[in-house]
Amino acid sequence: MRPFKQLLRYALGSPLLKKKFGGLATDIAGFKDFSVKIPLTTLEELVAEKMSSGDPYASRLCENGAALVTLQLEYDTETRLYIALSRQDLKRYAEALRRCWSLLGLGKGDGVAIFDYGTSPVSYLASSAFTPYLSQGAADALGCLPICNDGVANMSQRAVEILKFMRPQALFIRSDCLEPFSIESERQLGRLSGYTRALVVTENEGCLPKVEQDAYEKRLGLPVYRLLRIDAGMFLAMECPECRLFHSWKDLYYVESVTRAGDDVDEGGQNYLAITNWFARVCPTVRYLSQVKGSVYSAGCRRGPVDIRIAA
Amino acid sequence: MRKEVEQGRPDGKDTWPEERLRGFQFRKIKRVLGHAYQELPFYRRRFDAAHLHPDSVKSFHDLARVPTFTKKEVLDEMKKKGTFRTGMETFNSADQAVLCMTSGTLGTSFLYLPKRWRSLRGDSLARAYWWGGLRAGMHMLMAAPAWHSLAVQESRVIERLGATCVIPWGTFLPRFAENFLTTLVDTRPDFVSIFLPMLYALLAECRRRRMEARLAFDSVQYLLIVGAPMTPRSREQLKEELGVRDIFEGLGNPEGLTAMECSFHRGHHIFADCCYVEIVDPKTGALLPAGKRGNVVITSLIPYGTLYLRYDSEDLGEILPHACECGRTWPLMEVYDRRTNTVEVAGKEIVPYDVRLCLDDFPELIGVPFAVVRGEKSAPYLKLLIQRPATGDPSGLGARLRALLRQRLQVDAREEWTEELPERWKGVAVIEEKDWGTPRV
Repeated sequence: MRPFKQLLRYALGSPLLKKKFGGLATDIAGFKDFSVKIPLTTLEELVAEKMSSGDPYASRLCENGAALVTLQLEYDTETRLYIALSRQDLKRYAEALRRCWSLLGLGKGDGVAIFDYGTSPVSYLASSAFTPYLSQGAADALGCLPICNDGVANMSQRAVEILKFMRPQALFIRSDCLEPFSIESERQLGRLSGYTRALVVTENEGCLPKVEQDAYEKRLGLPVYRLLRIDAGMFLAMECPECRLFHSWKDLYYVESVTRAGDDVDEGGQNYLAITNWFARVCPTVRYLSQVKGSVYSAGCRRGPVDIRIAA
Repeated sequence: MRKEVEQGRPDGKDTWPEERLRGFQFRKIKRVLGHAYQELPFYRRRFDAAHLHPDSVKSFHDLARVPTFTKKEVLDEMKKKGTFRTGMETFNSADQAVLCMTSGTLGTSFLYLPKRWRSLRGDSLARAYWWGGLRAGMHMLMAAPAWHSLAVQESRVIERLGATCVIPWGTFLPRFAENFLTTLVDTRPDFVSIFLPMLYALLAECRRRRMEARLAFDSVQYLLIVGAPMTPRSREQLKEELGVRDIFEGLGNPEGLTAMECSFHRGHHIFADCCYVEIVDPKTGALLPAGKRGNVVITSLIPYGTLYLRYDSEDLGEILPHACECGRTWPLMEVYDRRTNTVEVAGKEIVPYDVRLCLDDFPELIGVPFAVVRGEKSAPYLKLLIQRPATGDPSGLGARLRALLRQRLQVDAREEWTEELPERWKGVAVIEEKDWGTPRV
């Protein structure tokens, strides 16, 4: 069965999605049809649905889904939103993070530091020790040793201590902690390259602008990469050190670049990323329209020849 | 017909006769001593310097010959070596493991925690949550500060007991109280595990929203509180205010201590399956009997990852002399505060908890923030700064409070009423006289 058929079949267990495209689900013949017929879901829609229904999951929860872990999402919306995950959802979501780490070249024996909240997928998918019912986090799969700092900017001093005493291969850092951390590390460590090989800046539905990225690389003296999170869609994509585009994976996600009205944009055109998640069974994500402007490129990078590539 | 065993129901170790329990603990101690001597250079050096071989430890009394150490010594070792690997840990790069941290005024130290450590400590902690009322199918609210070893254990507890969980966005700092409260209201958990200062921040958030706390906690049956001591009266008041069935207080630290109240609330049962606790005189290092306050010294009984063996936590505590009415044989203890928060008044050592117990005798002062003001030298009287209560006459209250302090603590006191105390974290209730007016967060 084509993946979208399978997805639409179980997505109909979600009251919101059933309401949105219940009657159309059986008529979808191909990806083109999928993009044309299935409406986008926006953040505003989720907020409105939560407020009207009172359901914390904004009516996304599949009635037959085995929700084990619920997470409040990082959106500064009028009301708070949540996702729920099963064992299988957690496993596949963590697989996305493992691929992000792999793309960066992380492997057995490497230390990985994370300067983010425990509630960020960058943290909670890192290790099975951090999250109940997660059988294998990214670090477990790759044989890395992770450490997590809190995501509060005034914990920069502690992040510097981690670098001093652990010397991780990479530091994943929230974008709002980047400047305070840079100041603290300059004060205490001088050039960072003696303590780690790369910084990876993460943000939910946002990306550090390229100009700032370049400026930090120059200032800190080491590569600064970006990791894109779209938490409502349980989506992760990693900037490739080689082609400098974000890589994502066809077996986990279907990524489109669309206008806010939902029309397709040709390759290279700048618009918004819409995410369809193939693995999330408890809170299915079908054409979630993110706030990230980006375009989808064809595969072809040596580091992941079949990976989806995104410019954002 | 065989009765089905409820998921996560703890075994009967906590009711073993004392002799059996001591035999069990001593075998575990011998194992960690041998492991430390053979595998961990940090301890090998210390044993050799003390001319001590683990084989010569033949009783609990002999264990006291093993030198204690403090966090400062761990930090010094880290600085000297330039790495978190101090030789206190069995490091194996093939292990699935995480690094966690301890925090504090002295600095950050690291704990290397492999999967086997998590299984043993987490399974032990599951007993505490069971006592606290968590059962299969219940929904639990947890914070996820992954930097702290409690998160590593709690994730295991939830799996072991078959609960589901919800995690609010952020961390356990008061400024995230809005997220925590919204999560509580939206997802209606049955069980909440929370730091006491964060619970007070939630109550403040309820007041800000003009929401009755009882309504916010409507779904919650049990609360498990850690992070700061709660007095019996403040527990009763919180229970009443929140409308929950019970509130349990847990004690612990990443280095090895787990202790937890049972439903009798007569103290904290030391979790004898994973730690051994001694109370020592901070000046002489001599062991103190039950009922005497001193420094809490911890020996972890888990020979995996970072091992703390006779670690002086610099907490002020005591083993309680009485047995618990619940029938469990695991000893009871109390931890009052960090030793650094001790204030010397007229030759007596007083901690804020002693004062809190007295304040809580007055209904108007239950839960009201206060601070003990400490000078550079021993003071002739106890100096208190108390937030003015919403109702009642402070001057009349003051006189009654002074009388009670004299009767209970045998010290004279002077109090000053203030509109608002500086915000501080973890309820640290000591203000240095020289820093008067300097807020500490």
